[in-house]
Amino acid sequence: MADPLMSLRDLRVEFDTRHGRVTALSGISLDVMPGETLGIVGESGCGKSITALAMMGLVPNPPGHVTGGQILFQGEDITRAKPRRLRRLRGREIAMIFQEPMTSLNPVFTVGDQIAEAILLHQDVSRAQAEKQVVDLLATVGIPEPARRAKAYPHELSGGMRQRVMIAMAISCRPKLLIADEPTTALDVTVQAQIFDLMRDIQREFGVAIVLITHDMGAIAEMTDRVAVMYAGRIIEQGTSDQILDNPLHPYTRGLIGCIPVLGREAGDAASLPPLAEIPGIVPPLHLLGDGCAFAERCALADDYCRAVRPPLEEKGHPVACHHAGQGVPA
Amino acid sequence: MGTARYITRRLAYGLILMIGVVVLNFILIHAAPGDPADVIAGEMGGATEEMMAQIRARYGLDQPLPVQLWIYLSNIARFDLGMSYYFDRPVTELIGQRIWPTVLLVLTAQLIAIALGVVMGVLASRRPNGPFSGFVSVFSTVGYAAPVFWTGLMLIILFSVIVPLFPVEGMTSARFRGTGLAYALNVAHHLVLPAFTLAIIFLAQYARLSRASMIEVLGADYVRTARAKGLGEGAVTFRHALRNAVLPILTVAGIQFGNLISGALLVETVFNWPGMGRLAFDSVLRRDYPTLLGVLFCASGVVVIANLLTDLSYRLADPRIRTGGR
Ligand SMILES: Nc1ncnc2c1ncn2[C@@H]1O[C@H](COP(=O)(O)OP(=O)(O)O)[C@@H](O)[C@H]1O
Ligand code: SF4
Ligand SMILES: [Mg+2]
Repeated sequence: MADPLMSLRDLRVEFDTRHGRVTALSGISLDVMPGETLGIVGESGCGKSITALAMMGLVPNPPGHVTGGQILFQGEDITRAKPRRLRRLRGREIAMIFQEPMTSLNPVFTVGDQIAEAILLHQDVSRAQAEKQVVDLLATVGIPEPARRAKAYPHELSGGMRQRVMIAMAISCRPKLLIADEPTTALDVTVQAQIFDLMRDIQREFGVAIVLITHDMGAIAEMTDRVAVMYAGRIIEQGTSDQILDNPLHPYTRGLIGCIPVLGREAGDAASLPPLAEIPGIVPPLHLLGDGCAFAERCALADDYCRAVRPPLEEKGHPVACHHAGQGVPA
Repeated sequence: MGTARYITRRLAYGLILMIGVVVLNFILIHAAPGDPADVIAGEMGGATEEMMAQIRARYGLDQPLPVQLWIYLSNIARFDLGMSYYFDRPVTELIGQRIWPTVLLVLTAQLIAIALGVVMGVLASRRPNGPFSGFVSVFSTVGYAAPVFWTGLMLIILFSVIVPLFPVEGMTSARFRGTGLAYALNVAHHLVLPAFTLAIIFLAQYARLSRASMIEVLGADYVRTARAKGLGEGAVTFRHALRNAVLPILTVAGIQFGNLISGALLVETVFNWPGMGRLAFDSVLRRDYPTLLGVLFCASGVVVIANLLTDLSYRLADPRIRTGGR
């Protein structure tokens, strides 16, 4: 097998908060292979965005700290990289698009200038060449009248157009890794589909690896090769998209897919569920995490052992962290 | 595009405001008890019948009120603000001499306040809980609360008694006769203390405001995007964050312009700066109404123009207003 493009090895990230130091990521390990699409799913607050930012060396500090583990990009540990080296990776080798297209572009510069800025930063081209590239990129991401739109300010474009601009900026230097943090959450359903189509086209054309963060299981099914499921700062199940979708082993994953034994919901009403399944209860706040399984309070299969001992991530067909993996009502 | 029309509209509003000021001036003269001619003549000290008639004819005081107002307005439209009782010279001539020192003082102070305030705010925002940030907070509270007279006197004591670095009186050295660069340097040297005294109150506000504004903007999504692009902290702070953080400062700077001009009146008095403030102050003491009213009129004109310039710079800085306001 080829070497992974990006590997997280037992990554720990902690935050200073009112409640003292809390652990947002407690030992995340995952690999992204060149050219593949890895999905990361989980509810809000599970640590998906922090994982993404860590891959760019952008964990907000203060209050965040990477306190353990490694972040290997093509074998190079970027937790040890100098700021200068990190800046050469960002935008050029690893690019990112965000959840909020409305606020992710600077309101006082034209979108063309903002894309050109990335090009001029990383490529040895003239201003005029960069501007020409900008127009080509805008055409690539499906923006009509690209030459005119390059001169537009963000507020003159719709949310979908702005996200296309963000994608154009992200691919401007042909990165090897594109991290998309809930890129469609803020958009209309029809626009969501267009953005996913665009991302697929871009992957085909540029061969870029994509990390797609989402809580939309439909997007996972359509877009990803492999999936990591996160809960409360840990990966609790990992596998190929087929394994996760067809044979989910963790009660939380099953709940996300909308098929099962979770407190307060009957099995069998999966058909009526929206793509984003609602699991009763909430993700426990980080400072209240105990020694046992973080999902126990919401899990229909939970017993005293679950509440006392945290289940490790173990191979049970594919890696899963649950004492009763695969038990209960079958999928 | 919209900008030309916008300027025209703003100028029209400014004109209406100025006419309002003139009408108010007019009412002030007429609100004084008795015959305005008496008020005017009285201040000149015992007038003959002949002079009274002259005054009546000049101000049209023998005409009905609306006609008088019209005469007053048309005098002003011809830049005739009347004669100073005290100097016995046209008010326009007096103001013409005094307006430039005031404009110089006010603009310098505003520039110092904005530039230093923004620099302090930016530095403080880099470590919101650091010692410099604390210093800025304390400084802005003290600077804001301290009266101009007090600050001015402290600076005078410091720089005339303790370290005599800067002159504390006038706009040029006594008997200074240089021209060109030598003159400019002499004026600049005299300008330092009054400008800083006037700047300090506003500097304090701008420092506090830009600190808060920068802290907010540095947490914005587009700043994260700028970092994700691979930009260094310098470009992130100054190109992406500061351009947005100065917008509220421009707004406040525009609002403060009127206060800046009233502040100039005090500062000019403390430092004997030969500007309009000093002239207004002296005119109050001398009951020199035409001069006082002329100064008010010009000061409101300066404020109108300053506000227009502020709005224009705001439109330049924020494209959402420039292109979205349709
Ligand atoms: N700036 C921050 N300060 C303190 N805690 C934070 C900060 N950013 C994120 N966290 C914590 O890290 C956890 C994971 O956040 P995040 O990665 O944004 O979740 P997700 O993207 O999965 O919704 C959250 O529980 C949150 O409390
Ligand atoms: S370990 Fe126990 S509580 Fe946790 S998910 Fe598995 S069954 Fe539920
Ligand atoms: Mg998130």
